[in-house]
Amino acid sequence: MWNSLILDPMVNSLLWIYNVLANNFGLAIIVFTILVRLITYPLTSQQMKSTQKMQELQKSKKWQEMQKKYKDNREQMAQEQMKLYKEMGVSPFGSCLPTLIQFPIIIGLYQAIIRALAVTPIQLLDLSNHVYPFINAAALIPLRNYFLWMDLSLPEKDHGLAIAGFGLPILAILVVVSTFLQSKLMTPPSTTGDQGAQMSKAMNLYMPLFMGYLAYSFPSGLALYFVTSNLAGVLQYAIMGKLDWRNLIPRKPA
Amino acid sequence: MKPKHLLFLLTFAILATLLSGCAGGGATAASSWPGLTVDEENAYLAYNTYVYAIQLSNGSLKWRYPSEANRTVSFYADPALSPDGQLIVGGYNHVLYGLDPKTGSMKWDFLQANNRYIASPLVVEQGIFAPNSDDTLYALDLSGNLRWKFNAKGESWARPVTGQACDCIYLSSMDHHLYALDPADGSVIWQSEDLGGAMVGMPALSETGSLYIGTFDSEVLALNSQNGEILWRVPTEDWVWSGPTLAGDRLFVGDLAGNFYALNAGNGETIWQLTPGQLDGPIVGSPLVIDDSIYFGSESGTLYAVDTSGEIQWTQTTGGKLYTSPKQAGDLILVAPIQSEELLIAFDRDGAKKWAFVPEPKK
Repeated sequence: MWNSLILDPMVNSLLWIYNVLANNFGLAIIVFTILVRLITYPLTSQQMKSTQKMQELQKSKKWQEMQKKYKDNREQMAQEQMKLYKEMGVSPFGSCLPTLIQFPIIIGLYQAIIRALAVTPIQLLDLSNHVYPFINAAALIPLRNYFLWMDLSLPEKDHGLAIAGFGLPILAILVVVSTFLQSKLMTPPSTTGDQGAQMSKAMNLYMPLFMGYLAYSFPSGLALYFVTSNLAGVLQYAIMGKLDWRNLIPRKPA
Repeated sequence: MKPKHLLFLLTFAILATLLSGCAGGGATAASSWPGLTVDEENAYLAYNTYVYAIQLSNGSLKWRYPSEANRTVSFYADPALSPDGQLIVGGYNHVLYGLDPKTGSMKWDFLQANNRYIASPLVVEQGIFAPNSDDTLYALDLSGNLRWKFNAKGESWARPVTGQACDCIYLSSMDHHLYALDPADGSVIWQSEDLGGAMVGMPALSETGSLYIGTFDSEVLALNSQNGEILWRVPTEDWVWSGPTLAGDRLFVGDLAGNFYALNAGNGETIWQLTPGQLDGPIVGSPLVIDDSIYFGSESGTLYAVDTSGEIQWTQTTGGKLYTSPKQAGDLILVAPIQSEELLIAFDRDGAKKWAFVPEPKK
């Protein structure tokens, strides 16, 4: 089920794009990521709308009054919040559900990159069972796994760019910076200082580090996906006119 | 640290651990099948974290290298015995080892390669010729000192071959080319044209000067070993993984669709063929030919014994997957399945199981 619905289409799309792009696997990952971004656009759009609604709600007078009124009764406050969500037609999970749905896509893409690169006999044998007949696998395999300074099949912890004798994890650093930028630019700083705002602040802090750790430990092909996906996300927001660079400046809670 | 921050960190740590588990990058997740070679007394099996020396008389363990598993070290290439009594084995940790086959102690290691040793080295009087996945063939003396290296355009997963027909080393590569190299300095004597697909099998070399190879372009080809000219090429239904086995004037080879072919080595004509309806899975390993019997394994774990007319004489199931080529050890046929408790199984020529080697459970 997972193979036939997610993994096989991803692997074969990657191989097809690789073939079209003169056998450049790095470019294939970049183009594939942009395509995935376009396909998942309805989810991103829904996420944005939900986030925006939530922010409007949190700025409303009713919300602020409720926060003050029940600041010493958390249980009552939670009940009132739920009531308000219903009243205003806002789902508290509306912004995180689309993100969660993207997790299987990330896992599928990771597996697709590893499967397509097929650097060991078991992986290559496995790949041979999953290539669609219209792909000319004999001409394509093995894939060229070098892109710029990277061996896309190896993690940066084993294969960082050597500068002055040190292996620098350039890609992992790019992943941390671009994830931080994306989360800051897309999540306007809350002025309410409530629980939800604190959670999103913590997410903005830890998510880039987590993604950086993944980029450092997993094959560089996945890190290339992260960087492309983050930059494509920022670009998508910019095109939609939602980008606000002022979000990068910290603001004091009201 | 605030409890909420601690909760986030814990969540990420758990997620990272789970994802790391999916990666299969550790040595404990097998990424290939066992390498196997034999001498008169022992079988040497390279699989995952150990190289095992197993006594042919009863299947008991003689030694293993290293004595304690190390997650960063794993072995899958066929070990090779040298004329001066060494066991040469390449690791996935980019290191080629010279071991003492009597004790399993390390004599030397060669550290200059940059990737996995998936191919077995060719070891002859002239030295060691070890292909590495960094696209390079390393030529060493028998003490592990580098003599020269040759860079192909792709990885080589198959042991090079040499023969009487010319003073050459023949190397099949995943870059779609066969190379004939001068063993003295690694210079290219000839290079074949693009053969249409990657090759991960070892070529078979005839005394009359022909080289036979199977490709991922679903073909078996014969080339002139003097100049690389293609003599004939015949299609198979699917990829040919391991090289064909030459016995007399016949070639025996399987493909990943589960066909097994007996071909006329002179012109490539099919003499007989066993089809996926008669066999139970893809054929990955090279067949073993002893007298009038041909032995080969399938992905479904069945060992087949076939006579020279293509009649199946007997079959034996191993309970795992058979990718490693069967090997002869005196009167025994050795097979090394994966995904089976038994790492090495010995059958006699009639298919009766004589012993099996089960490694000690990990402590």
